[in-house]
Amino acid sequence: MIIRNQDKINSPDTIKQQFEALGYICSDAIATSVYLACHLQKPILVEGPPGVGKTELAKKTADLLSAPLIRMQCYEGLDEAKALYEWKYGKQLLYTQLLKDQLGDVMRGAKGLDESVSRLHQFGDIFYSDEFLEPRPLLEALRSEDGAILLIDEIDKADQEFEAFLLELLSDYQISIPELGTVKAKSKPLVFLTSNNTRELSDALKRRCLHLYIPFPSKAIEQKIITAQVPELNDKLKQQLVEFIGELRDMSLKKVPAVSETIDWARALLLLNVDNLDHEWVKTTLNLLLKFQDDIEAVEPEIHNLLKVATKQR
Amino acid sequence: MQKVLGDFIHALRQAGLPISSSETLDALNAAQLVGIDNAPLLKQSLGMTLTKCLEHRLIFDQIFDRYFNHSFNRDDQLKDDNRASSADSVANYKSDNEAIEPVSELVNQLESPLAQQLMSNDPSAMQVMMTSAAAAAGAQDVTFMTQVPMVTYRVMQALGDGELQQELAEMADSDENCAEVQLLRQRRTRLQQQVRDYVEQQYLLFNQNEPHKRRESNIQKISLTSIDQRNYKLMGELVRKAAKRLASMHSRRRRITKRGLLDVRRTIAANAAYDGFLFHTKWKSTRVERPKVMVICDVSGSVSKVARFLLLFLYSLQDVLPNVRSFVFSSDMAEVTQLFEQQDMDQALAEVIHHWGNKSTNYGKSLADFEQIGLGDIDNRTTVIMLGDARNNNEDGNVSVWEELYRRSQRVLWLNPEGQVSWDSGDSIMSQYAPYCSHVETCNSLRDLNRILGSVLKHEA
Repeated sequence: MIIRNQDKINSPDTIKQQFEALGYICSDAIATSVYLACHLQKPILVEGPPGVGKTELAKKTADLLSAPLIRMQCYEGLDEAKALYEWKYGKQLLYTQLLKDQLGDVMRGAKGLDESVSRLHQFGDIFYSDEFLEPRPLLEALRSEDGAILLIDEIDKADQEFEAFLLELLSDYQISIPELGTVKAKSKPLVFLTSNNTRELSDALKRRCLHLYIPFPSKAIEQKIITAQVPELNDKLKQQLVEFIGELRDMSLKKVPAVSETIDWARALLLLNVDNLDHEWVKTTLNLLLKFQDDIEAVEPEIHNLLKVATKQR
Repeated sequence: MQKVLGDFIHALRQAGLPISSSETLDALNAAQLVGIDNAPLLKQSLGMTLTKCLEHRLIFDQIFDRYFNHSFNRDDQLKDDNRASSADSVANYKSDNEAIEPVSELVNQLESPLAQQLMSNDPSAMQVMMTSAAAAAGAQDVTFMTQVPMVTYRVMQALGDGELQQELAEMADSDENCAEVQLLRQRRTRLQQQVRDYVEQQYLLFNQNEPHKRRESNIQKISLTSIDQRNYKLMGELVRKAAKRLASMHSRRRRITKRGLLDVRRTIAANAAYDGFLFHTKWKSTRVERPKVMVICDVSGSVSKVARFLLLFLYSLQDVLPNVRSFVFSSDMAEVTQLFEQQDMDQALAEVIHHWGNKSTNYGKSLADFEQIGLGDIDNRTTVIMLGDARNNNEDGNVSVWEELYRRSQRVLWLNPEGQVSWDSGDSIMSQYAPYCSHVETCNSLRDLNRILGSVLKHEA
C-alpha cells in the first residue's frame, strides 16, 4: 500500500495537496503526521475536541491510499471476541452432529481407548481452523493482503484491559490467538486511534503512537474548509460566518461549535438564500450551532455584539 | 545529529517530560526522514514522536525554540560573517575587518594560542573550541544561576586565557603595538561575553528546573504542620498531581460477579466441548465501584494544617471518590460537604478554619454531634477517615459513639499527625479510640497522605 502510493506521500506538502484535492483541508501538522506514520509505520493517536475531523482524517487517508477502511467503534465492555476474532460456534456444533457417523467409521476397528484417541489426533484440530474462524475488525486489518487503514474510534471509551490488549497489535502488528498461534500482518496496516479525552490513556499506549492534536482550525483554514465543502457560498458571508464562529468559541459555552457545525450552518444559510448575516437569521438558525438550551440562552443576548465584531473585521 | 538530539532530549527530560528510549529512537528516525533543514517540519515531527499530551507539547515548543534557535542563529551569524552583510553586525565587523589588515602579519608574532585564535578571526573554530571547553568545565551541570561566573572563568582558563592575559600584559608594557593590544583586549571581552552567554544558556536548558525539583522532593517529605504559607501554592499543586495519579490508577475498576444476565455467547463457547450441554454458566454483570468516604477532621490548632491538605487531597480525588462527605470540628461538629462543593477550595478552607477552627477541642461533644448528623448514614460500604490528635483537654471521650461507628462502617482509619511516641502523652486519649479503628497511622507528610489514600482506594476495589 505504502510502496504503491509512494508518489502520493513522498513529502508532507504533497500529502497536503492530495488531501485538498479530496476536499479535506488540513494543517501542516496533520500532513506531517500522516507522512511520518506512513514512513515510520507507526500508529497515530489523534486527539482534539469533538467535530474537528478526527475520524474524517482516517477516511480521507483511506481514499488517498485507495485502501479499504476498517473501522472499529470502541465502547465500554468491548472485548476481544468482538474486536479480534470469534469461533463460529453454531457451525462447529452443526458439523460435530453431521460428522458423528463419519467419526464412527473412522473409529471402527480401533482397539482400546489409546488407539482411538491417537486415530482422532491424526485429523488435527479441524474444528479450530480457519474454516471456523470469524474474523473481526482487528484480524481483518491484519489479514488484508494489500494493507488497510484501521480506524480505532474513541479508544477512550473502551476499558483499560482492552487498551492493554491493543499494545501487541500496535507495536508489532501481530496478535496471538491461542488456538492458532501468532497472526502476523501480511502488510502492515496504517492505524488511526482517536480519543476525546474522556479519560487519560495509558503511557504504554501513548508511547507506541505518534501524537497528533487537532485544535479548532485557524480562521483562514476554516474558510478554506467551507469553500471546499460549500463552494456556492459567497465570500463575504463565508468570512462573516467564520468570524462569528470564532467569537462563539471564545465564549464559555457547554459545547462550542465545531467544524462540522460550521459546515452545517453554512449549508443551511445557503439553503435559506441568506447573503448577509443579520440578527434575525442568526437568531433563527442558532440551534444549528449550539446544542444546549443553556448555551442558546447565553448567546442570544450577545448576538448583537458578536455580529458587530464579525462584520467589522472585514 | 545523534549528539544534538540526545542533548535536546536530555534538556526535555530535565524540564520534566517523561521521554522513553523508544520514543527517542522514533524521534531519531523521524528526524532522519524529514531532514534537519526545514525547522518547522522538524519541530512538528519531533513534537509528535516525543510528546503525548498537549501540556507537554507546549513545554516542548518552548524548549525547542530555545535550544535550536541558538544553533540556527549561530549558523546565520556564521553565514553573515562570511558575507559580512547582516545589518546588525556590519558595524561591528567592519571595524574588525579594517583593523585586521595592518595587524595580520603580527598574528605570527603572537605566542599564546588563544591570542592567535582570536586574531585569526575564525568564529566557527572559536565556537567549536568554546563548546568543547565548556563541556569539559561542566557547563551542563550548573545547578544554580550563581555558579555561572565561576564556570565562565573555568572555560576561559581552559581556552588559554591565562597565557593570553600574560602576553597582553607584556605587550602593554612594551607599548609598541598599542592598536593591536586594544584590538586583542576588545576581542577577549567579546569572547568572555560569548562564553558567559553560552554557559547561561546551558543552565537555562538543562538545569533550570533542578532546584524546583529538589524543592518538590523535599516538600514531599516535610512535615505538613511546619509548612509555611508561601509553600501552600506549590503544595497544592503537588497534592493535585498526586491525587490525579491515584485517580487514574483506580478509576473504572470493575468486578465480574455471579449475578446479572446470562452471557449466552460465552456460555456456549465455554461449553462447546461438552457437546453443547451447559455445564458452566457465564454471567455478565459489571459494577463500577464507587466507595463512600466520610472524613472527619479536627480543625483545631496544629491539626488544621494537616486537615487542609487531607481535604484538598480528597476533593482532588473527585473522579474516583465522588461521594466524599466531610465533617469538621473542634468543639462542635458540622458538615461542610456543601461548602466545598460550592466554593473554591482555598476560600472554603479559610471559611472552615475561621468558623470552626482554633477553639479548644472536645471530642466527646463533637462525637455527640456526629451521632445526630452523620452516624445514621454510615453503612457497611463506608470508609470513615478521622484526622485528629485525640487531645481532648481532659474531657470525657464519648467512646461509645466511636464504637458504634466502627461497628456500622466497613473500615475506620484514624490518622494522627503526631508521631507514635506522643500518643497518650498529656491529654491525648488515643488508646481509648484505637481499639475501634481498623488502622491507626501517623500522617504527617504528603507521602503519608499519598500512601494512606492509595490504600483506601485499593481496599475498596
